Amino acid sequence: MERNYSQELLMAIERADRSGAALIIDAWAGQHAFSRVVPDLLSPVLETFGNLWASGHGGVSLATGYVASKVAEDVLSRLLQEAPAGGGNTPVKGPVVLGNVEDDFHPLGRKMVAAFLRTEGWDVRDLGVDVSAKQFVDAAEEVGSRIIGASAMMHTTAKNVARIREEIDGRGYTGRIMLAVGGAVFKLRPELVKAFGADGTSDSAVSASALFDELWQRSISLYPGTGGALEQP
Amino acid sequence: MNSLERVLAALRNQPSDRPALFLNASLYGARLTGAPLAEHYTRADIYAEGQMAVRETFSPDLLISPFFVSSIGEAFGSPWRALQGQAPNVMRFPVGSAEEMLKLPLPDVDSHPRLLYLRETIRRLSTHYAGEVPIFGVLVSPADIPPLVIGLEAWIDALLFQPGVAQALMNRLAPFFVDLAKAMLGDGATGLVLTCNLGNAFLVTNSVAETLTLPNLKAVLEEVPGPVIFHHGGCPLLDQLVSFKGLPQVVGYVVDIAEDLGAARGLLGPGPILLGNLDGPGLLHLAPEDAQGLCRRALGQRGGDNQIIISTCGADIQIDTPPETIAAISEVLRQAGGASS
Repeated sequence: MERNYSQELLMAIERADRSGAALIIDAWAGQHAFSRVVPDLLSPVLETFGNLWASGHGGVSLATGYVASKVAEDVLSRLLQEAPAGGGNTPVKGPVVLGNVEDDFHPLGRKMVAAFLRTEGWDVRDLGVDVSAKQFVDAAEEVGSRIIGASAMMHTTAKNVARIREEIDGRGYTGRIMLAVGGAVFKLRPELVKAFGADGTSDSAVSASALFDELWQRSISLYPGTGGALEQP
Repeated sequence: MNSLERVLAALRNQPSDRPALFLNASLYGARLTGAPLAEHYTRADIYAEGQMAVRETFSPDLLISPFFVSSIGEAFGSPWRALQGQAPNVMRFPVGSAEEMLKLPLPDVDSHPRLLYLRETIRRLSTHYAGEVPIFGVLVSPADIPPLVIGLEAWIDALLFQPGVAQALMNRLAPFFVDLAKAMLGDGATGLVLTCNLGNAFLVTNSVAETLTLPNLKAVLEEVPGPVIFHHGGCPLLDQLVSFKGLPQVVGYVVDIAEDLGAARGLLGPGPILLGNLDGPGLLHLAPEDAQGLCRRALGQRGGDNQIIISTCGADIQIDTPPETIAAISEVLRQAGGASS
């Protein structure tokens, strides 16, 4: 009987079995070109995992989400090693800017989002923790990003998302730069996404890429520019 | 009935004049006193004044030592930052892995200045309210200490991929936890409130919870010579409540925001008190009448249960929450009367 690699990989992630996941991917790569592992195996599995996570499925926890992000990082790292110089999993989307809002020092969720975005081909510029509104918009301006992804764990720090909104609007980037937010507080209190002026959030770290696709397209539809990247207002 | 008698009645499953009320107003005391947060979280006299102001203004039936978990991180070398309008937060970790943390010296609960600050708040409050208001010391379990010292990512990594190291670290932290728990009780705390977020399958795998964090929690609680209230931390609890049932010394559970108190009782059975289920941080956005509605809903879930304490859940009540909203909750409790049989 033919092996169901997708199901096996999903189960390994749910068991938090990082090395087991690597073995399954190796076995898959024995029959397929490794360069196809992201679109043909990893992405569909992560999408299913993301749906389970978002629905509160038993057995999916922050820890298994962490393992999923590590599996994704392992794959990207191997793609980079095996690719000819200048090749590998070259980003085809973005660039986008990520960071934890000012006064927030909880990096785990942001790092997971970065790993999942990179898996889906995004060029991610990760600014780290405790990033001010000015730093976010400066970075977006510098690299030409149409999306700022801001992470906050608690309500008190999430309020600083409103400052990023003000900075974006104050510099005339409304609609050009989209503001995506994530973190525990937005999952618990989704009404805060709008209240703090964000343009969207996702149900789980895994589904951040779909959100970024949507926000990127929304920005382009409002301000097409040339070549997709951000232009000055 | 005074507050202590009301809480004791709940613990003994006896009727009381009305349900007791607990507010996580550790931060809010600073709003009432007007004290700068840098002083509120470093001077025991200032913090105690804040809790007294909370008591005078809203009449909660339990008071707490600072809800300031970064203080535990500081005791292991993690610097924290006083933030505008919120409790301090760890801003940097002194070491990056569980293995490195194993080499750190354990803080001395009798000499570390921040731990002495925590303890002194209990001494002051318990002296002031002796025989009148129960005072609870706020603690985190050994499984919840490493995220304050090495970060959550490194700790989850150790729990998943280096279980031996994770076990060794929790074993090493156990005497510190027990010493601090005993010290707080010796200082006059009626009991302790503690979290074990890393024992909750919302954050870790069932395997980690069952083989590492929960056995450690049970072992350290065996050594705590006083009553403990288990707090949901930031995690949903109802789905996991059975895992935490029957923990040594645990006399009560604080469930998550809006989790059904009647359903929780069904899972736990008679015995422990249940605290819930008002959204503490979310009070900021509520009009007084809406807060009263939530409070009445919680009261409606208690039925004939003597062992329900109406409580805010989640993190601190936010500092810019209108006092009228909190007072509205107190008013509903004042009018509530005893449990309907």
